Amino acid sequence: MTENTGHSSFLVDDCDTIPKLFLKKTAERGDKTAMREKDFGIWQSYTWADYRARAFEIAHGLLSLGLKPGDVVSIQSEDCKEWVFADIGIMLCGGIVNGVYPTYQPNQVAYTLMDSNCRFLFVEDEEQLDKYLDVEEELPNIEKVIVFDWRGLRGLKHDKVMPIERLYTLGQEYGRDNEGQVESIVQNGRPEDLALLIYTSGTTGMPKGSMIPQKYLVFQTTINVDFEQTESDQILTYLPLCHVAERVFSICLPLKSGCVINFAESPETVARDFQELSPTLVFAVPRVWEKFYSRVSTSMSEATWFGRTCYNLGLRAASARARKLLDGKTPGVVDELKYRLANALVFRNIKQLLGLDRAHYLATGAAPISTSLLEWYLILGLSITEVYGQTEVGVVTTTRPKPLRQGTVGEPIPGVDLKISEEGEILIRHPYQFDGYLNQPEKTRETIIDGWVHTGDVGEIDENGQLKITDRMKDIIITAGGKNVTPSLFENELKFSPYVSDAVVIGDQKKYLTCLVMIDKENVEHHAQMHSIPFTDYRSLCARPEVVELIGSELNKVNKKFSSVEQIKKFRLIDILLTAEDEELTPTMKLKRSYVSNKYNDLIEDMYRGPSR
Amino acid sequence: MSGPLLDIRNIETYYGPVMAIRGVSLTVEEGEIVAVLGANGAGKTTLLKTASGALDCRKGQVIFEGNEIQCREPDWVARQGIAHVPEGREVFPLLTVTENLMMGAYCRTDREDIQKDLETVYGYFPALKELGSSLAAFLSGGQQQMLAIGRGFMSRPKLLLLDEPSLGLSPMLVSEIFETISRLNREQNISILLVEQNAHIALQVSSRGYVMEVGGMVMDDDSDKLLESEDIKEFYLGKKDEGARGLRRWKKKKTWR
Repeated sequence: MTENTGHSSFLVDDCDTIPKLFLKKTAERGDKTAMREKDFGIWQSYTWADYRARAFEIAHGLLSLGLKPGDVVSIQSEDCKEWVFADIGIMLCGGIVNGVYPTYQPNQVAYTLMDSNCRFLFVEDEEQLDKYLDVEEELPNIEKVIVFDWRGLRGLKHDKVMPIERLYTLGQEYGRDNEGQVESIVQNGRPEDLALLIYTSGTTGMPKGSMIPQKYLVFQTTINVDFEQTESDQILTYLPLCHVAERVFSICLPLKSGCVINFAESPETVARDFQELSPTLVFAVPRVWEKFYSRVSTSMSEATWFGRTCYNLGLRAASARARKLLDGKTPGVVDELKYRLANALVFRNIKQLLGLDRAHYLATGAAPISTSLLEWYLILGLSITEVYGQTEVGVVTTTRPKPLRQGTVGEPIPGVDLKISEEGEILIRHPYQFDGYLNQPEKTRETIIDGWVHTGDVGEIDENGQLKITDRMKDIIITAGGKNVTPSLFENELKFSPYVSDAVVIGDQKKYLTCLVMIDKENVEHHAQMHSIPFTDYRSLCARPEVVELIGSELNKVNKKFSSVEQIKKFRLIDILLTAEDEELTPTMKLKRSYVSNKYNDLIEDMYRGPSR
Repeated sequence: MSGPLLDIRNIETYYGPVMAIRGVSLTVEEGEIVAVLGANGAGKTTLLKTASGALDCRKGQVIFEGNEIQCREPDWVARQGIAHVPEGREVFPLLTVTENLMMGAYCRTDREDIQKDLETVYGYFPALKELGSSLAAFLSGGQQQMLAIGRGFMSRPKLLLLDEPSLGLSPMLVSEIFETISRLNREQNISILLVEQNAHIALQVSSRGYVMEVGGMVMDDDSDKLLESEDIKEFYLGKKDEGARGLRRWKKKKTWR
């Protein structure tokens, strides 16, 4: 396969837009498997030809409903094959795709649909449809709502709502009479045309819709520098496709390489899906990597004496190899042998349990990750690539396999210019970045200055030319003593504890630092059960003094790694079990700092009352 | 005595290799009615059986009046002052009503008091008096339930474990039985741990409630607060917001707040 990653051109296989690439690749691949999805518990395969046929039906269907190039069509669904069919279908007929998080509440749905001036809406099922119906009056511009899964809606009489099967039929009819229309729309497509709107979770104010052109997506198909992907590779699609990271990994990369995407059955079954599938390409956010690790450490605490000893011996035996790799040296024969032995006896089973035994490309991104965690994976023989990017510019840096430089996010991928401003902010420029925020020219002007995108992240370039992210610029804490503290450093070390799911360090303009902690329900419950700490629900678990003490001791362990001004003096547990539907969390389940600090103001004030310990 | 009357801590109970309840804790204070709600298979009956000694737990403690009583023989537990009224009545079909009631007093020797208590039972359930000499098998479901409760009372327990007293009864009878249950609690000073599927009535008579799901506790609070909780309303009381279409079929995610 030829690819062109040069600075001057954004052609991939001679194609400059995703629809062109799609037409070319689907014609080549035909009956090879493109995707798999579970139906009644059994994996069903769909070929590239099926993919093409469905996408065409949707494109034709939308044209027959009167879609004009440049119209916005939204998809509000969990990941599923129809999401992808609709996504490509919309682009084929010149529409602009706007992915809406299925965890959004009706008012949030209304906001993005209104702001994007959406004409057609795809929704997953009854549940998502009800969100639209709740706010229908506010959305007169929506002309048709197409439902992927019609179950439970049989008796529904509504002029604007129809099942996707109906759209397929409309598309087939329209396609018969208008052969060649889609092809000509695609051929006339230009790389500068808008492909997507991606709304980014607004931690401050309402979400902003980034305008993403076609060339951005084509460029993003080349981000896996140094890693070969083939048609035999498998990807598990489980993060929201509305998020730029999952889109790049599950839609863009497979288009170029032909690897197979597999849809997780539901957000709750991801762990089992991993185990079943054992994907060869894995992209995960730090929270998922943390979860894998805490599963292993919990089952180790439950294991027999023999099992535990083997695990600890294995970790010790293999750590020399990991250290050498981290130092940029080649591990010696003895180190390699020790690793092989530990791998055969211990690690292989662990990797099988997690579903990572076949993975040869593992990547993390979208949030900072603790280096201790990366090291643990490296000891197991899993080298995780860190990528860095944001919606506005896509993935722009990646670590390389040789030499390994963990703790950094690597170097820019070919075509990307990167520099650090005087304030320490990371600036990115490349020809394929976003076109600005929809309806927000002043925000756009603040972000793109002289062609450079101001990322809002603070970072530095180390002596090896690797980019290191310090933190979000606005998250940096200046204590009352005038000391600058980067909260994410502490938070990530703390999240390495199996008992901590997320944490927010607080202390801007305050005498000392404090922290709000969200516990890992499963592991803390397990700990309580093992130590006969009675509890009933989540709230009572958080209220147990033993649990508070447990988190306190985990916190103290982390405190030891920091200087005294950077140490956490007090902490509180968030005693409500948060879900993706809650506004405190982003759709990728990160705590939103500003939101959380406002909402739990009382808890925070409480920590600053009385003397520090 | 300072602690609660019954204090169940982190119990785990298995049926063979199957873990039926995984780490459940619960307390009943003296003089209180506590309700445990939950769907089929949540582990409510297992919880009661573990408390009364009919099942042994693998982990955790059942503390009654400050003493551990888990994994003891059920008859010993009964003598400590816990009476278990099992699900589905389980009266002795071939004994008469009076004989059934006397079985409840099997461990007692104070004849006079037994006679008095028998009269008390007849006072609470006049229907049983008229049926005194008929075989229990010929009683209606409601009468059998009264008999089973009466039999439990005859051991003069400090704590009564009631497993779904409303099972298979008409709404009328249900409210009657629950009326009697709260009278027993008030007038005889018997603490009651009540397992129920009929959340509405259970939360009305109880002062506190617990919600179980797949073997674990997911929520506990004062009963009047539980009655106000969105999740309890939707999943146990059958009140839900029908949405714009008026025909909502999907279930929202449970958050137990």
